[in-house]
Amino acid sequence: MTTPAEALPTQEMLINMGPQHPSTHGVLRVLLRTDGEVVVNAKPDVGYLHRALEKIGERVTYAQFMPFTDRLDYLASMNCNCAWAWAVEKLAGIEVPERAEYIRVIVAELNRISSHLIAFGSFTADMGAFTPFLYSIRERERVNDLFEEICGNRLTYNFARIGGVSADLPQGFLEKTKEFLDYFEPKIPEYNNLISYNKIFLHRLANVAVVTAEEAVAYGLTGPNLRGSGVAFDLRRDEPYSVYPKLEFNVCVGTGERGQVGDCFDRYMVRINEMRESVKILRQAIAQIPEGPVLAKVPRLFKPPAGEVYFRSECPRGETGFYVISDGTVNPYRLKIRTGSFVTMNVFEKVTKGLMIADIVAVIGSFDIILPEIDR
Amino acid sequence: MGLKQYIADIVEAVVTTAKGMRITARYGVDAKEEITQQYPEVRREPSERFRGFLHNDIARCTSCTMCVKVCPVDCISLEAVRGADKKMVLASYDINIGRCMYCGLCVEACPTKCLTHTSGYEKASVDRGELILHFVHEDPAEIKARVAKQVAEAAAKAAEAAKAAEAAKAAESPKMTESLRPGKAEGSIVPAAPAFAAAVGNPGGGNPGGPKAPDAAKEEWEKKG
Amino acid sequence: MEALARSLVSAVPAIAGVPLWTVTLLMMVLSAAVLLAFALTFGGLGSYVLRKVAGDIQVRIGPNRVGPYGLLQFLADGAKLLLKEDIIPAKADRFLFILAPYLVFVGSFAAFVVLPFGVGLTASDLNIGVYYVMAVTSLVVVGILMAGWASNNKWALLGGMRAAAQIVSYEIPVGMAIMPAVLIAGSLSLQDIVRSQGGLLGIFGWNLFHNPFTFFSFFLYFTAAQAETNQTPFDIPEAESELVSGYNVEYSGIRYAFFFLAEFGDMFVVAALATACFLGGWHVPFFRAEALPALWGNLLSLAVFLIKAFALVLVMMWVRWTLPRLRVDQLMRMSWKYLVPLTFVNLLGVSLWLLIFKGKGIPALIASLIG
Ligand code: SF4
Ligand code: SF4
Repeated sequence: MTTPAEALPTQEMLINMGPQHPSTHGVLRVLLRTDGEVVVNAKPDVGYLHRALEKIGERVTYAQFMPFTDRLDYLASMNCNCAWAWAVEKLAGIEVPERAEYIRVIVAELNRISSHLIAFGSFTADMGAFTPFLYSIRERERVNDLFEEICGNRLTYNFARIGGVSADLPQGFLEKTKEFLDYFEPKIPEYNNLISYNKIFLHRLANVAVVTAEEAVAYGLTGPNLRGSGVAFDLRRDEPYSVYPKLEFNVCVGTGERGQVGDCFDRYMVRINEMRESVKILRQAIAQIPEGPVLAKVPRLFKPPAGEVYFRSECPRGETGFYVISDGTVNPYRLKIRTGSFVTMNVFEKVTKGLMIADIVAVIGSFDIILPEIDR
Repeated sequence: MGLKQYIADIVEAVVTTAKGMRITARYGVDAKEEITQQYPEVRREPSERFRGFLHNDIARCTSCTMCVKVCPVDCISLEAVRGADKKMVLASYDINIGRCMYCGLCVEACPTKCLTHTSGYEKASVDRGELILHFVHEDPAEIKARVAKQVAEAAAKAAEAAKAAEAAKAAESPKMTESLRPGKAEGSIVPAAPAFAAAVGNPGGGNPGGPKAPDAAKEEWEKKG
Repeated sequence: MEALARSLVSAVPAIAGVPLWTVTLLMMVLSAAVLLAFALTFGGLGSYVLRKVAGDIQVRIGPNRVGPYGLLQFLADGAKLLLKEDIIPAKADRFLFILAPYLVFVGSFAAFVVLPFGVGLTASDLNIGVYYVMAVTSLVVVGILMAGWASNNKWALLGGMRAAAQIVSYEIPVGMAIMPAVLIAGSLSLQDIVRSQGGLLGIFGWNLFHNPFTFFSFFLYFTAAQAETNQTPFDIPEAESELVSGYNVEYSGIRYAFFFLAEFGDMFVVAALATACFLGGWHVPFFRAEALPALWGNLLSLAVFLIKAFALVLVMMWVRWTLPRLRVDQLMRMSWKYLVPLTFVNLLGVSLWLLIFKGKGIPALIASLIG
């Protein structure tokens, strides 16, 4: 006797998700092999946004590369700006004024908040709840207003400079930041009430695409994705740079609150909690910021000594590292950029086996990938 | 799944949904929470440091080419010729705002602070040529011709002066005349604009050499795509 | 309809000479036209309200440019959709592709026929009204499946399959959840069901407060019906963020508008059915609309009915802009594990209640205790 499955042979279906798809967060293409709704295999195909940033870096001077780091992760330009500045300063051994370092930390943490807001908002929108997205955008707009005041742009900030920052804080900036923090902090519990602990939302995320701690380390995940798997590793704490040692904050990790450690919900919650920690860091930094200059003396024709350096910093999407080889001329001899999202894509194929198509969207959202980081 | 769990699930679903709906309802009825600005009618003031379109106050520009050199995407193109008083005269200064990324590096680099960001940010055009801002409104060829004429006049004057001096000195030292020939005096000044422009080097600006009317520049830009 | 026509002919001497069937036919055409106009206007205004509600909830403003308060936005949209290029994919099954939107639209529009808009305002008071609505709205699934299949697009196909699975499994809880009202009225006719909820008990005459089981039935029906009509959080056949747009991804222009209108039509049918079966239909609280002269009674009851139904539509929109979307398997689980058993338990409860208390509801019982 033949079973119904034999009598009615089914076929696997090859679906092309992206590069134009509302929830691949850009031009990511995922090749889905599905058995009905169940994904047999999901293969990410990256490279649609390749802009040869590394090569550009080798052709322009160190200072000129700064605006290009804006485009490395356009949702967290400040973090990338600062990371590049720190990397070059480490290479050339430049002493940065303390006030500049504080300003950098302030803008970086503000940007972390705004970046996590987008992660939160777009993730919920992917899950079908469009309203939280608008709320998150509303908050982000205020961060953008702050940034516009400090550097004049709202998306690609180009604010850090080698040896400091381009300009001192404008009048009343710290007060406005404080105001924003006071406004923003109560919003986080509101988000949680609105959506985080919503039953449907929980069901969509809990136990989906579990990345165990070992896997996360083995695949080289960093940032919130690594911490979501329960590994308490944060470069700001474990490999301190700038003035982070003087600031107190917790490293948020996934706890398996509603499922297993390392599922989508954990990664999501890590981001929500990190926004709180960033608020904490910001309050301390605002209280501690000293007076003083904001830009070290750096020659206009800046030529770092020959040598090489790897500097990594904690960006909202994981570790952003710059590996720079200098041959003593005005531009780097070789530049390699390591980004969180790109590395995250490695584990994608593994964790999506056997999920549903709708889960793929959840996985992409929970990893909070951004395409310019993947393709550079 | 026990009955208790079953009921707890249902209760949780209802309670969390109600919580969420309470929040959305609050925003829904509270008109004060609306944050939309009716854009073309209501505009927010850009901040003081706003990096809008670039503007060059060419009266103060010294043609030092710092801005050209620092721009990472080569969107400023500049042509200058040395005038009669040895100062550089701008023949053309174009910024391609379609390519500019408003990074502000050029503004920071400008020594005379004549290059500034305005608060302008609205420009839409169906013609990419329109996105090239021309700050020198005269035809560069005319300027060059005029400057060349001035330079020539100055040179002629200098030559005359030299001749007079020569005449005065002729009696004493006939040898000197050789080095002060008019032709030589002219050669010491740099009148040739193309050569200078090439030295400045503007690989992207669309005006690599030779005088070109703005229309021609536009055409070339469009050709490049 | 024929009876109505006969009474009309006898009432109006001017048309006494006209054959009966002509009058009947004319009336049929007329009522169809009125309903169609209503459906279209509702679809248009519904889309306006939906966006306004979305705007309010999402701290935005919503449409406000076309006409006063943006009220004419839907006309502009309609004009735009009409003027758009009508694209039929080269590899599509042309016949089915063209047919599908009509089926979907007819499926949702046909249900309007039996809705009890007012005391005497029903296009056709079928004695199997509830049954008819259930049957005819299921036609929608054929259209959706057809659209998904004919588009020759994998996303559309997935959307179509999802819709089929979803609608088939939610038919049962929807039907079961509405049964209590039928049991109480002892009739499948929607007008009968509405009439059974009258009386001067005011809102306590409504089936909603008849007994605890009917109370739950209302919510179960409302939930299940939202799923049956593909509203968020159960809009997986469309699932913008997963299936791009699901079954209607390849449709453009006026064909797309049909899907769109059908969606709003469905919304209204669900709300109207819930109103009729649980919220007293056109009954005005503490007032007898039937006692008024025919014209005023009809108008008043129509207004009340529409207010109730629109309020429910608003709630549906509110839910839509609050909740995230379920996953396919979770949706099935919700139907089979939660809604179906619960509706059956409810039905059993209502039946027992009617048996024990001889068809009286709690308010009636209390009233009889007091007086
Ligand atoms: S703002 Fe930046 S991109 Fe624009 S012209 Fe100046 S240096 Fe070039
Ligand atoms: S840097 Fe300033 S002064 Fe120099 S050429 Fe540019 S605009 Fe003129």
